[in-house]
Amino acid sequence: MSADEPELRASVTGGRLAGWLVGGAVAALAVALACSLVGRSRVWGDSFWTFPWAQEEVWRIRCFRLLVAALVGAALAVSGLALQGLLRNPLAEPYILGISSGAGLGVLAGATLAVKLALPAWATTPVLAVAGSLTTAALVYAIAQRRGRLDPYVLLLSGVVVNVFNGALILALFVFTRPLDLLDYVAWSMGHVQESMYAGSLLPPPVLAGGAAVLAGGLLVLWRGSSLNALALGDEVASSGGVAVGRLRIEIFVLVCLMTAAAVALAGPIGFVGLIVPHIGRLLLGPDHRRLTVVCAAGGAVLLMLADTLCRLLAEWLNVGTLPIGVITALAGGPFFIVLLRRRFREGAA
Amino acid sequence: MSERRSVLEVSDVRFAYRDEQPVLRGVSLQAAAGRLVCLLGPNGSGKTTLLRCLLGGLRPSGGSIVLDGEPLESYSRRAVARLLAYVPQFPSETLGFPVRELVLMGRFAHGGALGLASRQDLEVARLAMEMTQTLPLAGRTLSELSGGEAQCVMIARALAQQPSVMLLDEPTSHLDIRNQLQIYRMMRRLAHDWHMAVVCVSHDVNLAARFADELVLMRSGQVRAAGPPGQVVRADVLKAAYDVEVELVDRGEGRPPLVVAS
Repeated sequence: MSADEPELRASVTGGRLAGWLVGGAVAALAVALACSLVGRSRVWGDSFWTFPWAQEEVWRIRCFRLLVAALVGAALAVSGLALQGLLRNPLAEPYILGISSGAGLGVLAGATLAVKLALPAWATTPVLAVAGSLTTAALVYAIAQRRGRLDPYVLLLSGVVVNVFNGALILALFVFTRPLDLLDYVAWSMGHVQESMYAGSLLPPPVLAGGAAVLAGGLLVLWRGSSLNALALGDEVASSGGVAVGRLRIEIFVLVCLMTAAAVALAGPIGFVGLIVPHIGRLLLGPDHRRLTVVCAAGGAVLLMLADTLCRLLAEWLNVGTLPIGVITALAGGPFFIVLLRRRFREGAA
Repeated sequence: MSERRSVLEVSDVRFAYRDEQPVLRGVSLQAAAGRLVCLLGPNGSGKTTLLRCLLGGLRPSGGSIVLDGEPLESYSRRAVARLLAYVPQFPSETLGFPVRELVLMGRFAHGGALGLASRQDLEVARLAMEMTQTLPLAGRTLSELSGGEAQCVMIARALAQQPSVMLLDEPTSHLDIRNQLQIYRMMRRLAHDWHMAVVCVSHDVNLAARFADELVLMRSGQVRAAGPPGQVVRADVLKAAYDVEVELVDRGEGRPPLVVAS
C-alpha cells in the first residue's frame, strides 16, 4: 500500500443518506407551502403574518389535498423504483403491470360491499384493495415466469392484458351496483384527490391508514435497498453473494402491492409516476437503491403535489368542478414511456 | 498434501431435471484450501450443472455436498456467501454501478443495516481490488472496461466476500491469451498465497494443466479421471473423454506436454 494510493470511499454513507432524507423533506415541505398559497382565493387576510388567516379553512383543504397527493406520489414512485430494481426492467411500474387496476377493483368492490352491507368503507376497502393488488401481481407474475425467469416483454404484455380485464370488471361492477355517482366514478377511475374525504381533519382514518402503509412500505424498501443493488449483478451472482432472491421477490411484491393499494384507495389508479420519478432520479443520481428510495419518495411527493395544484388551478380557471390528476400524469407519462421503450429498443436490450 | 483439510466435499452427487436423463450420475470431488482444481470435460458433461448444485441453485437428488464440515443445505444464503464465492462466465449488465460499488456488493453477507460500508468493508474491498489490479478502475462503470478488466472486477467482488472457496465458471472463455494467462495466474495466487480452495470450470486443457494443482475430468455426468495434471493429461484419458484423437507434444523437462487435438 503506497501513500499516494487513493483511499476507497463508498458513494452512499449513513450521513449522506440522512442528508438526502432531510433535504427531500425540506424540499417537499417548501413545495407544499408554495402550492398551498396559490389559487383564485387568497387565503390570508390583510396581512400574511396575521393569524388566523381570513380563509384558513380553504387553506386547510388545500393542505389536505397536498398531503394526499404527496402520500400517493411517494408510494407510487417508490413502488416503481422497487419493481424496476427487482425485475431489472426499467419499464416496470405498478400501473403498467396492472397492480393499480387490481387495487382499483378491490377499492370499488369495497365501496360496493360497504353500501350493500351498510358497513363503514374503512372496514371493507383496505382489505379488498390489498387483496386485489396482490392477486393481480401474482397473476401477472405467473403468466410471465418460466422456471423462475421472467421475460420482460411478456411481463409488460400480461400487465396490459390484466389491466384491460380488471378495467372491464371495474366498469361492470360500477354499472351493476352504482356505489358512487357517475362523475365521481369517472374522476376516480382517472385518478383524483377527493376533497370530500376532508372532514375538518387533515388526518381522517383513510389518510392515516394509507400514510402508515406508505411509510412502512417505503422504509422496508429502503431497508432492502442493498439487496436490490446486488440484483444488478444477476440473480445467480446476487444469490451467491448472500441475497435470498426468492424471498426478496415476495417481499418486494407484497410491499409494492401494499403501497399501491394505499395510493389507489386514496386517489384512484394514477399512472406513470412510478416510471417518471425513478428514471429522473437514476439519471441525476446514479443507480443506488438506498439513495433512490429516499429521493424518489420526495420526488414523487413533489411531482404529484405540483400536478394536483396544476389540476386545481386549471379547474378554477376553466370553471369546471374537477380535473382528475391522472389526466396530467398520463399526458406527461405516456410520451415518457414511449421514449424509454424506443431507447431500450435501439439498444437492443431485452 | 493429503493432510490438507477439504473445505468442499462433494460425494456421489446425482441430479436430473424433471423426467429427463440424469445429468449428474454420482460425482465426487474434494477441494482443499490452498489448491487450484480445474474441472474439465466436453460440453454437456455436467460441469455447469455441478456448479449450480454447489451454488445452491439446484438441489441434488442424491449424494451430499459438505461445505466447511456442514451440509450445504444447512446454511442460510448469507452464511454460504461468507464461505463460498462465485465468478460467472460473463459479467452481467450492472446498471451503471461504479466498480468500487460492485466490489463493495461482495460485502453484502458481512454487512449490517442498509448495507452501508464500514471501515472494515472498505479495507477488505481495497485489498481485493489491489490483488486484482482493479483499484485504478474504482470510479468507472463495467461497460467502460475491457473484457479482461471486467472479469478482474468480478473476481475482486467475489474476493470481497472473504470466502474459503472460490468457484469460477469458465472465467477466461471470452478473453485474449494475455488476459487468460493473467486470470489463471491470479487463480493460482488465490490458492497458493491466499489459501483458498479454488475450483474453476475450464475448456482450456493446456492452461488448466499448466496452472492447476489438480484436474477433474468429467464426461456424461461422471468423473472419469482426477488427480495431478500428469495423471490426467494423457492421450488415452483425454481421447476417452473428448472423443477426439489427441497428440501430446513434449516440451522438455518439468513442463507439461502441449495437448493438440488432431
